[in-house]
Amino acid sequence: MVNNMTIELDLKGEVCPYTFVKTKLKLEEVESGEELVVFFDHAPAVENVPRSLKNEGHKIMGIEQTGDRLWKVRIKKA
Amino acid sequence: MKLGILLTTSPENENTNTVIEISKAAREQGHDVSIFLMYDGVYNVNKKEFAELINKGVEITICAFNAEQRRVAKVDGILFGSQYDHACIANSADRFISFG
Amino acid sequence: MKKITVIVRNLPFNIRRNAEALRMSVGLTLREDKVTVIFIDDGVYTATRTKPELINIPHPVREFGALSMLKCSMLADKPSMEKRGIQEILENIKCVEREEIIRTINESDIVIPF
Repeated sequence: MVNNMTIELDLKGEVCPYTFVKTKLKLEEVESGEELVVFFDHAPAVENVPRSLKNEGHKIMGIEQTGDRLWKVRIKKA
Repeated sequence: MKLGILLTTSPENENTNTVIEISKAAREQGHDVSIFLMYDGVYNVNKKEFAELINKGVEITICAFNAEQRRVAKVDGILFGSQYDHACIANSADRFISFG
Repeated sequence: MKKITVIVRNLPFNIRRNAEALRMSVGLTLREDKVTVIFIDDGVYTATRTKPELINIPHPVREFGALSMLKCSMLADKPSMEKRGIQEILENIKCVEREEIIRTINESDIVIPF
């Protein structure tokens, strides 16, 4: 059975390092291989959080700008 | 040896010259040097002598959040990173010095 | 795992240094190092219940919340508190004798006076 439920995390209004701290804590609730979708409005986080997560071994499946200052990042847990 | 340096003061503080000279001396002795700039330390990227440390093989990372707050523009060769990068520098350094 | 100690010793409201020291401390936990924050000298005022929003400064509530959640130890120097007549500090910050402050600094791999 395929589980289509996506886990989402809204980090609008959060800045560094809370963007990364909260993403990391949420990933602890996610099973290995599952996807987490995170929403950011803090521009530096869109470059830095995915780079740091890759360093921790996770995969970045996509970064998409969905608004004027709004981004959606898809992460696959290692 | 890997030397980590944190600099949180702006270029008019004597700390800047100290960091420049320590970094040069360490590189001449063959040590790795990683500098993290945050708070008013982000202004150092605009100082020529400081930014030239990149050419000597010094790794410079700046807190992008503080840089954005202070309207400091991106500089080639300097990583506009995060506090996670600072944690990596502190975690991997053999010696760590803070200038504030 | 390294032991990293951040020392906060300045007055809290004339510049944003102390709030930034706390934000940095949160970041330093991200590589699983043990981070301790010490409030000493005028830095102990940062450990008290204040209303900085009255002078248009945001309260570092997010920083303190994150440090508590990440189980960082936060220590306030008792002699500094006594000298300033401070009796109450924020919850999750422990008031300790000078000896414990010295021991914590001595046992640290990295000390960052901010």
